[in-house]
Amino acid sequence: MKASMTETSGFKTVAPSVKDSRATRRARRETREITLIVAAVVVLLAVGAINHRFVSFENIRFMVLNSVVLSLVALGQTWVIATKGIDLSVAPIMGLTAVVTGLLAQGSGLPLIGAFGIALVIGLVLGTINGLLVARLTIPPIIVTLGTYSIYSGLIFIYSNGTQVDQVPAAYAAFGNGRIAPWLPIPIPVLTLAIVLFLCWFALGYTLFGRAVLAIGNNAVAAYNAGVSVISTQVRVYMISGVLAALAGLVFVCYTGSATVTTGTGDHVELQSIAVALIGGTAIAGGRGNMIGTVLGGLFLSVILTALVFLHVPPIWYSAGEGAMILVTVTLGMRQSRAGKAS
Amino acid sequence: MASAALDTARGLDTGVYEARDLTKRYGNVAVLRGVSLTMRPGRVHTIMGENGAGKSTAFKMLSGIVKPTSGSLSLDGHALSLASPAAAHHAGIYLVPQEPALMPELTVTETMFVGQLPTTGMFPRRVDWKAARSRAVQALATLKLDIDPDQLARHLSIAQQQQLECAKALLRGCRVILFDEPTSPLTTHEVERLFTTMRRLRGEGYTLGFISHRMDEVLDISDDISVLRDGALVDSVEREAFDRVRLLSKMVGREMRVVPRRQISHATTTPILRVTGLAHEPRFRDVSFTLHKGEILGFAGLVGAGRTEIAETIFGLRRRDAGTVELAGEDISAASSHDIIRKGLVYAPEDRARHGAVLPMTITENLTSGLLERVKTRMGLLSQSDEDRIGAETVARYRVRCAGTDQKMRQLSGGNQQKVVFGKWMGIGPEVAILDEPTRGVDVGAKDEIYELIDGLAHEGMGIIAISSELEELVRLCDRILSVYEGRIVAELTGDDITPERVSSSYLTSAEVSGR
Amino acid sequence: MKEVENTVTARRTGSRFPLDGWERSLLALLVVEIAGFCIGIPGFYDGIGSLLGLTQNFLPFGIVALGLSVVILTGGIDLSVGSMAGLGAIVMAEFWQGLHLSIWLSALLGVGTGAVLGWINGMIITRLNTEPLIATLATSFIYGSVGTALAGENPPAGFPDSFNALGQGEVGGLIPYQLILFVVLAIFFSLLMSRSAYGRKVVMIGYNGEAARYSGMRVPRVICSAYVISGTMAALAGIVLASYYSAVRPDMGDILLLTTITMVVLGGVSIFGGEGRIAGVVMAVLLLGVLRQGMLIAGFSDMVTTMVTGAILLTAIAIRNLVSGRGTGFALLFLRLRRLGGGKVPEAAE
Repeated sequence: MKASMTETSGFKTVAPSVKDSRATRRARRETREITLIVAAVVVLLAVGAINHRFVSFENIRFMVLNSVVLSLVALGQTWVIATKGIDLSVAPIMGLTAVVTGLLAQGSGLPLIGAFGIALVIGLVLGTINGLLVARLTIPPIIVTLGTYSIYSGLIFIYSNGTQVDQVPAAYAAFGNGRIAPWLPIPIPVLTLAIVLFLCWFALGYTLFGRAVLAIGNNAVAAYNAGVSVISTQVRVYMISGVLAALAGLVFVCYTGSATVTTGTGDHVELQSIAVALIGGTAIAGGRGNMIGTVLGGLFLSVILTALVFLHVPPIWYSAGEGAMILVTVTLGMRQSRAGKAS
Repeated sequence: MASAALDTARGLDTGVYEARDLTKRYGNVAVLRGVSLTMRPGRVHTIMGENGAGKSTAFKMLSGIVKPTSGSLSLDGHALSLASPAAAHHAGIYLVPQEPALMPELTVTETMFVGQLPTTGMFPRRVDWKAARSRAVQALATLKLDIDPDQLARHLSIAQQQQLECAKALLRGCRVILFDEPTSPLTTHEVERLFTTMRRLRGEGYTLGFISHRMDEVLDISDDISVLRDGALVDSVEREAFDRVRLLSKMVGREMRVVPRRQISHATTTPILRVTGLAHEPRFRDVSFTLHKGEILGFAGLVGAGRTEIAETIFGLRRRDAGTVELAGEDISAASSHDIIRKGLVYAPEDRARHGAVLPMTITENLTSGLLERVKTRMGLLSQSDEDRIGAETVARYRVRCAGTDQKMRQLSGGNQQKVVFGKWMGIGPEVAILDEPTRGVDVGAKDEIYELIDGLAHEGMGIIAISSELEELVRLCDRILSVYEGRIVAELTGDDITPERVSSSYLTSAEVSGR
Repeated sequence: MKEVENTVTARRTGSRFPLDGWERSLLALLVVEIAGFCIGIPGFYDGIGSLLGLTQNFLPFGIVALGLSVVILTGGIDLSVGSMAGLGAIVMAEFWQGLHLSIWLSALLGVGTGAVLGWINGMIITRLNTEPLIATLATSFIYGSVGTALAGENPPAGFPDSFNALGQGEVGGLIPYQLILFVVLAIFFSLLMSRSAYGRKVVMIGYNGEAARYSGMRVPRVICSAYVISGTMAALAGIVLASYYSAVRPDMGDILLLTTITMVVLGGVSIFGGEGRIAGVVMAVLLLGVLRQGMLIAGFSDMVTTMVTGAILLTAIAIRNLVSGRGTGFALLFLRLRRLGGGKVPEAAE
């Protein structure tokens, strides 16, 4: 495809080379992932040099397993932030699911499959409420989810009525801690996260829905003008966020075997999930979402926090480390994009 | 090299787009009244008119953004009812906006396909990136655009974005492409490139619509011209019948008179502002001039020549690479705009809605915002009575038509908003005022009032720099005119040299000289 | 041209009544609420003193809300108010216990700490050009850690009675010190935001930061100062809480954040900045505070009242957006879009 140079206007006429598009796209998109992986490896090696147990298989398994719950919530948060929204209500949705499924399992022996069904329903219903309020009633997302945060937290309290989950049936514990197969030491929650990650990654990158999400996050009016259905996409995004938060709640109760009224809200999972998404390279201004980055961000956070344990840093400093990480990654990210703009 | 993208669209002799009796009312105000147009394939149909004549509204109705109050549209004889821009695209009509809506974080390929991404497979149905990219490459090549399909859209210039919009129109198989005043933010080179693309499309049999109020451009590119005035169609001519004077007089609605020059100059020989070697790469460099008391100095040039940037740099809003600015002998090159205002230099920006005024705030609040110290305070509180007094005095002095001084700015007309912005800055009693496009978006009648205001200020001894893209305005106002071309002052005109023709040729000639 | 019609009307068009429609509705609701509680809930009204005394349970929220309002009016947000409140109180307690300073001097240092923390927020936001949400999210984690570290295993407690009176005592057994403090602050902030040059700048920046810059306002400086104010108020609230409990805990500020944002937004302050007034925020503080106390007295649990608070917030904002069409930003945009296209894109008709 050779373009002719016959035009006179001083118009450079070059047919762009038809090289593989994905190569360029990857090069541009995956810098954050590489940064996070390199940083995690550096931390692993550095801390591992001081204490060999840090790089032991057991510890690595623990660090990965430990990141699953937060990463699940953060994946949902990534969807919402990509549309320029924010979802604070993930924390009570997660807590409510943990308490409801846990109490039902503890009290009336609800089978695990039933727990999945309940989690799905809770996530869908509560997420849809968020989505409708944002898209239909046109209330800013931060206010909507602030309001539903209070309401959903209240639901946890009303449902649990002061009781708490302190143990779960064997099937639950197996789901939360077991390995895929006796010969394959990958924890089931990690597999769950991998499946969810794959679905999210695929949906964001390769489906019309995923691209509509990004288009809305970039420029909602232009997206609407181009025929993107803004309202239904927004509602669906909050539904996904709700369902993933609910799934995280179920994994949490299976993994830890406990759940209380403050599960989710007490640890400020809503803020943590935003932090993880930002660390993973999702832009708070919308229009850019990075699912793999989010999971790597969750993993990196887990590695850092565990490293602090191994370095005998008192636990009270963990959240300071988290805050510093947000600042560093986000300001670095902005430097990068500004440099890109200048070129 | 006929490509598939063009072939699909070229079905010969299609693309006759007609509008009958288009009318648009907002409440009681008719923005457009019974306008009928016929756009034909292989021709560029230009709509001319002054600000507020209804040009953009017409295009918005032709492209589904605004619904007409009454009237009908038809394409190749089939009646159309466009409920949305997407519906218009579907019907084959595409509007290229002046500043295309950007999807900054998406790649060029994807922005071209938003809402229309090709898919492949049944389950899961997924985006066919390969097909998208090759079609994007093809469309870009058809228009001979040098844009990397994989780069992020935020890196595109406005000119590139407009060109990309053309490619998007091709991808959507649209046969009618409307350009809503595309040239005003472009440099000369960019305009030329856009015209090359437009001619190419015309040659391929597309139906093109164009809005501009730059006579030279219009005469250059158009095949048909329709003139709108106050929402009504007042003239419609074909290429053979083009007549500059007739078009202008139809546009303005009165016989073209010889532009009146100012009767009396108030200019003195006392320098008040001296700029030496000012530079801000890559926008402008080596800018030197002196402004005198009572003088009205015009900055002529094309949009994008760097005039606004020069003004903003003098006013301390932009970083300065080199040069000095002296106000009444004092070096203010390094001062912030906060301090520069207090030293007696003010700047009324061209974009009122974004920079000049805070529309949700009241007239009085806008008036005092330039220098809140003007308002007397009691125990740290702004005196309401003093502020009311300032508001009332300014409103009276500058004849702002409003219901009261606590009316919100957004309820005022463009001309009255502009008077408030003037009042805001003149109230501080500056020595130098830089007025950037002082009559943009102002009705013809109100323009005269603003000219009188500016003249009055010069009479009081203020030094004034007027940046304007309207030749008539410069000719009417200025004692002296500096022509700016691509970031340099290329000519200085005084006295009898100041005529529309000489002013425009002063920078257009430079364009030809340095453009080749 | 038409000189004749130029009869300049330089008067003010609106009334000078200090409350606008939204604030009047809040006031009416508050009156109805208090009257309803007095009649409907046995034990709610037990003399005027006890009624006023109820405010001690929620006024720290109000103090934080006043400072947060300034930040939100600039178009920003401060997620770190909770941890600044905790840290301010702990700094005070440590000065008092560790260095044996006078409790009041320590309290002053605690408030000063809040100012410094807010200044750090402001510098991160203006100098590093960070989104306020991200910056204050990060610093909230950091300040929280520092507070926990300073507090140690056994945070100081048992402050002198004279200090505890700030949170628990009343003037003449009737008017709580807290209430006096809040009223003074509310008047101060109301005047600051509506009548001072500073407030004018904040509002202008909130509506249109670029226009403020073109008017020669030192935008970064004003924005930074808003965070200083927010930090100062948060720390002050932390100290009042310390006095109320006569103890400090690093996490004592955690409950503040979401409730105070609710109060500010319910008070009519636009989350996008510019619009809204302190009077509304004060109404919202009283409305939500009294509601919580009333429901607690009526035997509802804390969480139920939280739920009701959330529901009120959403209902109020939804009504405001839909009825008065005062929605801003995206809200308004989408409203317009929907009217245009009915939410989906119909095909072009033949």
